[in-house]
Amino acid sequence: MRKLKLLTIILGIVLVTMVAFFGVYVQVQNRMEDKVKDYSYAMDLKGARNIRLTVDDSSNTVIKDSEGNEVSDAENLTDEELAEKGYTKEETKKNSDEVLNEENYKKSKSIIEKRLQELGVDNYIVSLDEVSGDIIIEIPENNNTDSVVSNVGTTGKFEIIDSETKEVLMDNNDIKRVRVMYGANNTGTSTGTAVYMDIEFNKEGTEKLKNISNTYVETNTTNNTNTTNETSETTTENTEEETTTKEITMQIDGEEIMTTSFDETIETGRLQLSVGSATTDSDTLNGYINQASSMAIILDNGNMPVAYTVASNEYILSDVTESELNIILYVMLAIVAISLIVLIIRYKSQGIISAFSFIGLASIFVLLLRYTNVVISIESIFGIAVVLILNYIFVNKLLSKLKKEETVNKGIITNIFKETYKEFFIKIIPVCIAVITFCFIKWEPISSFGMVMFWGILLIALYNISITNLLVRINASKGGKK
Amino acid sequence: MEENKESKIKKEKMKLSKKTKIIITIIAIIILIGIAITCTIGLNFDLRYRDSKRMELYLEQDFNISDIKQMTDEVMKDKKIIIQKVEVYEDTVSITAEDITDEEKQSLIDKVNEKYGTTLSAESTQIENIPNTRGRDIVKPYVVPFGIASLIILVYMAIRYRKLGVIKTLLKTVLILIVVQMVLLSIMAITRIPIGIVTIPLVINVYLLTLIGLTTYFEKQLTNKINKETSK
Repeated sequence: MRKLKLLTIILGIVLVTMVAFFGVYVQVQNRMEDKVKDYSYAMDLKGARNIRLTVDDSSNTVIKDSEGNEVSDAENLTDEELAEKGYTKEETKKNSDEVLNEENYKKSKSIIEKRLQELGVDNYIVSLDEVSGDIIIEIPENNNTDSVVSNVGTTGKFEIIDSETKEVLMDNNDIKRVRVMYGANNTGTSTGTAVYMDIEFNKEGTEKLKNISNTYVETNTTNNTNTTNETSETTTENTEEETTTKEITMQIDGEEIMTTSFDETIETGRLQLSVGSATTDSDTLNGYINQASSMAIILDNGNMPVAYTVASNEYILSDVTESELNIILYVMLAIVAISLIVLIIRYKSQGIISAFSFIGLASIFVLLLRYTNVVISIESIFGIAVVLILNYIFVNKLLSKLKKEETVNKGIITNIFKETYKEFFIKIIPVCIAVITFCFIKWEPISSFGMVMFWGILLIALYNISITNLLVRINASKGGKK
Repeated sequence: MEENKESKIKKEKMKLSKKTKIIITIIAIIILIGIAITCTIGLNFDLRYRDSKRMELYLEQDFNISDIKQMTDEVMKDKKIIIQKVEVYEDTVSITAEDITDEEKQSLIDKVNEKYGTTLSAESTQIENIPNTRGRDIVKPYVVPFGIASLIILVYMAIRYRKLGVIKTLLKTVLILIVVQMVLLSIMAITRIPIGIVTIPLVINVYLLTLIGLTTYFEKQLTNKINKETSK
């Protein structure tokens, strides 16, 4: 009966090992497909999106009137027409020579890093060419990558300007923080959820906004005109009400967001911009939220002092090739095999049983990593090795204690198990603390290491108390103690 | 008889302290040399973190990295090279080296054209400068996690081993954790092992192993102390 039990467990381990390392192949149409979930790889093993941002050397053509004010509706005029009107054409570089220096390049890099963090990119490499100002960004490839790429290189220049004179009234320096808000939208007949971008200004900005909201309003002026009717020789007095509106234009990176005037004075120092609203469509709503969040992140981190353009944007596979990964796997397998042979030599039949148990743990562990969506990185490969080493230490300790015992029965095994367990887990409490902390860190290499270690330690605790314990007990009771 | 025993214990203690002194001296020398090398020559960064040059060749077909490696080995001889496939169709190769001269570029393109039947030219192939990644940028994301973890661990250590003296335990833990990491980095600096993708995982593992070592040591000390107290 005990022999059968032992055989059943060992066969179970063999089965799990086959599934874990060779897969389960099912015929799908004309090919065989492995039904076991594949590993998720991190940027260092899979590949990354490489984005090269180069300093924008393009120029803008600005048309100015005789007083030096920018004229907006004169793009279609010919040179002669411009000369007639007294307008002049000026070429202004997007990046003036003064801004092109190392300090500004470094500041831009730092802003990009902050944006990447806030956009939720959990692994990135940003490098800067301090001479040319080029910035190279490596980020993981996923569904959000394109959205990140479109946001990360944006200058993020926020301006509130006078619609007529183009005078800059407020800019990024006046912003304290930008948040995304959403709530019920019950305007008119439509109901649903509206998404807002809430711009909170600093003390200086609040004061500026107060003045602007006082100045840029709709004003009614009454004009009295007298009209004399020559035939009847009567004079009629006409009263004409003229509405003049001073408006501001809000711009982000030179793109007009809105042109508006104010109905009342804004004293709160907060400006809410509607991004969009949706009635029931959650996808549309999420789209608005994402759009607003990206914009908020860009504005919240200040504008980049240097304007950049995306020079190249391509997916480059990792230089760690599959064959190199296989080499690592084979080396690990060889080390495991040697260690298990040592275990067998030292502890004879208990060693063989423990070796099977060890293989079972390793197999369940790799399956667990696949199905818990743990991302495999270089760090987590080291984590896998550490888990296997820890389990080996545990098993070795357990067997060496069992070997010292003259007679072995259920009670003694239970006691030895408890003692080894206590000793082992007390020693790794600090490791467990570090591992749990790492799991919560939003940096893929370290969180993947943390997750691998977390599942590994949990598995060591549960697997050994159930399977290894059972195997050792069955084997000891059938006379194979030492 | 008892006097003999005592003198034996004294001698052993002397031996031990002599051993400890030698170990401390060796560690100090390693750290000092490591610091000196880091400050003067600097650490030896792997090619992926160094200033480098990159060229991309559109091969119009799937290819084996080993074939490209063979070509680069012939053209660039002893240079360290990174070869990567580009984009989802994997029909473009990216070759990164510390430096790619015009002759090397031409010769590599000739070999590629010959093997893959492409019509690439040196004029249409650009060499991009890849700026280095600063060491502090590599380390930065790990500072906070290690800081938080170490802080919680120190609190745990202070509570668990309070009988051994809170300050003594904390000082020992901090000192050993720092010294071990410094020794590791110093060894890397002295032996010129490149700082690459395995460096951080190595640092994490050494950190965890040091923690296990520390708890083993403190547990032993605690058991001895408790035993002494109970025997009294």
